[in-house]
Amino acid sequence: MNRFFEIFFVIWSWLSALCLVGAVAAILGFLCVKGFPALNVELIFGNTEPLSALLLQKQVFDGLFPAIVGTLCLVVLSVLLAVPLGVAAGIYMAEYAVGYVKTCCDFLFDILAGIPSIVIGLFGFTLAVFLHKNFSDQVYPCFLISSISLAFLVLPYIVRSTQISLEEIDPAIRNTALALGASRLQNIIHVLLPRALGGICSGVILAIGRCAEDTAVIMLTGAVAIAGIPRSILGQYEALPFYIFYISSQYADQAELMRGYGASLILIMLCTLLFLVAFLVRKRIAYQAFYKA
Amino acid sequence: MEATLNINNDNVTGINSEVTDLSQEKDKVLHKKRETVGNPFVENPRMTCRDVFVYYGDKMAINNAGIDVACNEVIAMIGPSGCGKSTFLRCLNRMNDTVESCRVTGDIRIDGMDIYAKNVDVVPLRARVGMVFQKPNPFPKSIYDNVAYGPKIHGLAQNKAEIDEIVETSLKKAGLWEEAKDRLNQPGTGLSGGQQQRLCIARAIAVSPEVILMDEPCSALDPIATAKIEGLIAELRQHYSIVIVTHSMQQAARVSQRTAYFHLGDIIEVGPTERIFTNPRHQLTEDYITGRFG
Repeated sequence: MNRFFEIFFVIWSWLSALCLVGAVAAILGFLCVKGFPALNVELIFGNTEPLSALLLQKQVFDGLFPAIVGTLCLVVLSVLLAVPLGVAAGIYMAEYAVGYVKTCCDFLFDILAGIPSIVIGLFGFTLAVFLHKNFSDQVYPCFLISSISLAFLVLPYIVRSTQISLEEIDPAIRNTALALGASRLQNIIHVLLPRALGGICSGVILAIGRCAEDTAVIMLTGAVAIAGIPRSILGQYEALPFYIFYISSQYADQAELMRGYGASLILIMLCTLLFLVAFLVRKRIAYQAFYKA
Repeated sequence: MEATLNINNDNVTGINSEVTDLSQEKDKVLHKKRETVGNPFVENPRMTCRDVFVYYGDKMAINNAGIDVACNEVIAMIGPSGCGKSTFLRCLNRMNDTVESCRVTGDIRIDGMDIYAKNVDVVPLRARVGMVFQKPNPFPKSIYDNVAYGPKIHGLAQNKAEIDEIVETSLKKAGLWEEAKDRLNQPGTGLSGGQQQRLCIARAIAVSPEVILMDEPCSALDPIATAKIEGLIAELRQHYSIVIVTHSMQQAARVSQRTAYFHLGDIIEVGPTERIFTNPRHQLTEDYITGRFG
């Protein structure tokens, strides 16, 4: 009986793993098959000279270039807004918060993590309307509002990953610097944070992926079909996920649909690129923190 | 309705207080103070501990301990697991502060200064009372930076040359200089277990402490590395007071001048190591060192 159960369990685990890998491979394969033929310079730059587009001398109107730049900028700004806030909150939760306050904050962060992105989008939209009415009629749903909303969306990932990776640190390591007379803050900066960097980085990578793919938030807070390269943080902008949503819901012919597949492929490649950058940064920071401090 | 509620409330309180009374009674029975056999006090002590009680929440871990640490001595603390010897050790540099539920009362002094006084800063205290842990735990930094960390955060050196000197003398005192001098910039985590522990000792003595606390410093090491650390402890005694917690009675016998035997939070017996191991006066001490329990 036991032996039978063990074999069954091993096979079950294998099949589950296989299913997952298969699903990922299927999606990527499908996208590649459909998207690769559509991938070319024209898809990205349209009829504009690639070089002059890259140097921002000429606007691209019929290519994905503005959407790519828009998504890239959006991810960078959102993560830049979310990381300092999230890491600091995570440090507070792991190292300073106790008792009732901690339970309360834990609960609130769980709620924040559970808020659907469309609701956060609505919040951003309301914020824009409020600012427009009460402060300046120059404020519309725009790049900045989108970034702030997205930062809110990914904050829980960063808080949680920071908190968990700090809390997981072996008490023996936690006490080392303290026993040498380091203050609590010195201990956090010199020992605990470098140890936790790996975990924090996983959180940031999750956040990058979420920022890059989320459509509901940007739809309500400033992404439009045609806006060109984002010129100002108070302006509207184009983004890849919105383009994919837009084209797949209203394509006129097969060629347009193919452009959608191409855009999806580009979005995935963009995410991979950002992940790689995050990994490299992590390696570099860890090295600096450990060996140069 | 209200009346019923009141009655219920009364009942609840009644039961609660009964429970607390009972558990306190039980505590008293379990923790009836046993007089320490032998003389725990010395002349010209470096550290003095009087009437020390330690609690984890409601649970008493140390019951009215009183003991001195002399200058230039190695004092060993032995006893079965959970007897409170590590807890007591951690009182001496206030590492128990990091445990939330832990409460320490009593009077612990180093050179006459009450270390649990309100205005005492633990940062300089922990420079005076260093600590070496059970598992070698070098920072994932270079050997040099490991040793230089303490002097840097305490501002003990004005320039690089002074830090270099501190690093060299500390590594020499810890008997690691010959093995490490050509690889100071390599990670401390790349050393062998015994070398790592000596690196941790070098790191602890780099801030020129007066007392070094060692919490089972050899329990993760092989016999050869253990022998080296024990030799080192004997040498370090010339400059420092050393309090060592150990599970190995042979180790206590080899390295220490005095031994304290702990049992369920009490210090049962203190005396010269040789006397404790050859002629224990308390039945519990005798039972432990003859291996009847432990």
